[in-house]
Amino acid sequence: MSEKVFDRETLLDLTVNVIPFGILVIFFVGYLLFSPWGFDSVISGIQLAIIAVFGIGLMILTYYSGAAVSKAEMRTEAALEAEETAELESGDETDGEETPE
Amino acid sequence: MAAEQLLLTGLMGVLLLVVIALLGRVEDWRSYTPLAGGGAYGGDSAHVHEEKPAGLIRWLTTVDHKDIGLLYGTYAIIAFAVGGLMAVGIRLQLITPEGTAFGNQFYNAILTSHGITMLFLFGTPIIAAFANYFVPLLIGADDMAFPRINAIAFWLLPPGAILIWAGFFLEPLTGGTIQAAQTSWTMYTPLSVEQVNPGVDLMLLGLHLTGVSATMGAINFIATIFTERGDDVNWANLDIFSWTILTQSALILFAFPLLGSALVMLLMDRNLGTLFFAQEGGGAMLWQHLFWFFGHPEVYILVLPPMGLVSLILPKFAGRKLFGFKFVVYSTLAIGVLSFGVWAHHMFSTGMDPRLQASFMAVSLAIAVPSAVKTFNWITTLWNGSLRLTTPMLFCIGFVSNFIIGGITGVFLASVPVDLILHDTYYVVGHFHYIVMGVIGFGAFAGIYYWFPVFTGRMYQKKLGKAHFWLSMVGTNVTFFAMLLLGYLGMPRRYATYEVAAGVAPLDLLTLSHQAASVGALILLIGQIIFVWNFAQSWLEGPEVDEGDPWDLEKTGQKTKEFQWHEDRISTALTDGGSESGESGTTSELRSDGGSESEEEEVVTDGGSTSEESGTSSELRSDGGSESEEEEVVTDGGSTSEESGTSSE
Repeated sequence: MSEKVFDRETLLDLTVNVIPFGILVIFFVGYLLFSPWGFDSVISGIQLAIIAVFGIGLMILTYYSGAAVSKAEMRTEAALEAEETAELESGDETDGEETPE
Repeated sequence: MAAEQLLLTGLMGVLLLVVIALLGRVEDWRSYTPLAGGGAYGGDSAHVHEEKPAGLIRWLTTVDHKDIGLLYGTYAIIAFAVGGLMAVGIRLQLITPEGTAFGNQFYNAILTSHGITMLFLFGTPIIAAFANYFVPLLIGADDMAFPRINAIAFWLLPPGAILIWAGFFLEPLTGGTIQAAQTSWTMYTPLSVEQVNPGVDLMLLGLHLTGVSATMGAINFIATIFTERGDDVNWANLDIFSWTILTQSALILFAFPLLGSALVMLLMDRNLGTLFFAQEGGGAMLWQHLFWFFGHPEVYILVLPPMGLVSLILPKFAGRKLFGFKFVVYSTLAIGVLSFGVWAHHMFSTGMDPRLQASFMAVSLAIAVPSAVKTFNWITTLWNGSLRLTTPMLFCIGFVSNFIIGGITGVFLASVPVDLILHDTYYVVGHFHYIVMGVIGFGAFAGIYYWFPVFTGRMYQKKLGKAHFWLSMVGTNVTFFAMLLLGYLGMPRRYATYEVAAGVAPLDLLTLSHQAASVGALILLIGQIIFVWNFAQSWLEGPEVDEGDPWDLEKTGQKTKEFQWHEDRISTALTDGGSESGESGTTSELRSDGGSESEEEEVVTDGGSTSEESGTSSELRSDGGSESEEEEVVTDGGSTSEESGTSSE
């Protein structure tokens, strides 16, 4: 699925948000494994939820924004290709003017 | 009593029906102007009003995004002057440990008002000024999605400012019954509940109005960027400034209504006997949670658009495109999300559970990454670039420099053990002033100088612009670095006098540091006086910009839509704006202060092509002409260090 939505370049761009996500994951796992103040279902639940909510939120927003940008890029590229093809087909007749789509 | 209430209810119902009926008759929310005879009552809603009304009526009735942008800008600069003078007052007071200028109460009042003025009356509006004027131009929109809401959003601000400052005016008139609020900008309870001064209520109401204004503006920007983009603008090529405005607007949408609710609760606690923030109710901690849930995203509300400005402007004078454009976009969005998960790092010392502290520390450290990513992108854009050290570029570089100091000092504060030592000291004040003045202020100045030719049609005075930059840069660093040192010495913030602080550090050292900060503030003051003079005089008398690309952006393929619009406007004005003689007559009249023909031919571009500039001998650029210009251009490769050193001089 992700390969269809994102090309390699976009995935590379999106790694920028993987880093803060990774930091959150490290803290999440760390607090899960080591809890010097003990485990309390409410407080520890909130503790982990704060990190998890924002980590998941970050990934969701990154996914949708990346998808929107990626789709827009694909549409632009397709339009450019179509334009070039039309120009080639019309040859010299159009005299370099833009061909209406 | 019951009958009265019934009557009142009935009247309210009728009023509601009238409002619904009026709203139902509006056919076209996007019509250009309500004074044009169409729109509001269902008649002709076409663009019938070709020209704007003249004089004051134009400014009172305008719904044109550019005019509203100018109104926001004027308002913000007036607020900046007021807030700046308050800051000077604060620094004058702290020259001596016993206080130099004012009584403690007046000090508290200007301290409170300085913070609120700079954040709500300068910071948010100056960004709205840029966004209103330039976002529609950058995205190819005709106007904002809701022009009238845009106008309403602005016109809520002047009464907001009057209410916030009301205590200062009313104190002498009421014999001290109503005073300026002394709650500090954070309005912590129980202090803000227990102060009986009605000036606090007025300030809260004023703040509420500014919050409503910001929310209306944010909705408008979101709608505009989503629905009003030109056919050729999509998510892949949306400019970086619009991306940051979109993210900022989303933050406003979630943060400001919460502030509004908290303010209403505080007003009710003060006036109606409710117990939201009383010990029996939510307690003082409830206020802090609500306030900082708004307050920390507010930091990013203020800083993201200036980051967008710098991301837009800096590449223009580096001669290359922004490195990692999409990194900057995605990191902006990351900051947007994470900014809501860090609020309690302002509250580490309140005794909250250490497990919760640990979580907020984690998110606060994580949010440093996207901020750092941007910094690396700006530096990489500069690396081996062909730099032109124009005034907007200098402010961009100053922005990056200040952001590194302001940002890194913030990372330390995210760490719980460090924060517990530095909390409530001048270190915190130094850190956030590096951001609000050194970053947000510098970003705003970069935008003002960069777009000055567009929104005034004239060019500013280059020498004064650079003087403004250097005085601001030196003043900012002297003032706020001294504050960082004061914080390390343990000097508590907000004190009107600090003889008592001698217990934490040698008083001589504290006094010296405070005096250094005050000297820096005076340097800043001189810089800002020069800015205001340059801004006003150049707008009125500066050389007219008669070329569409005053920064030579086309050379590097970076000419954006707003400059294309600027060029179109110039060419349109030449073709149908009356006779040529009339045009030149206007020009010569405006240049009556000694301008010669040669001046008229060339506009001082402060960074355009050197060949053009070397020929310019305008009196507005009495700084040496060609030599200095040539030194300014730092070519890529070669001995950049030497050359940049020369240009600094």
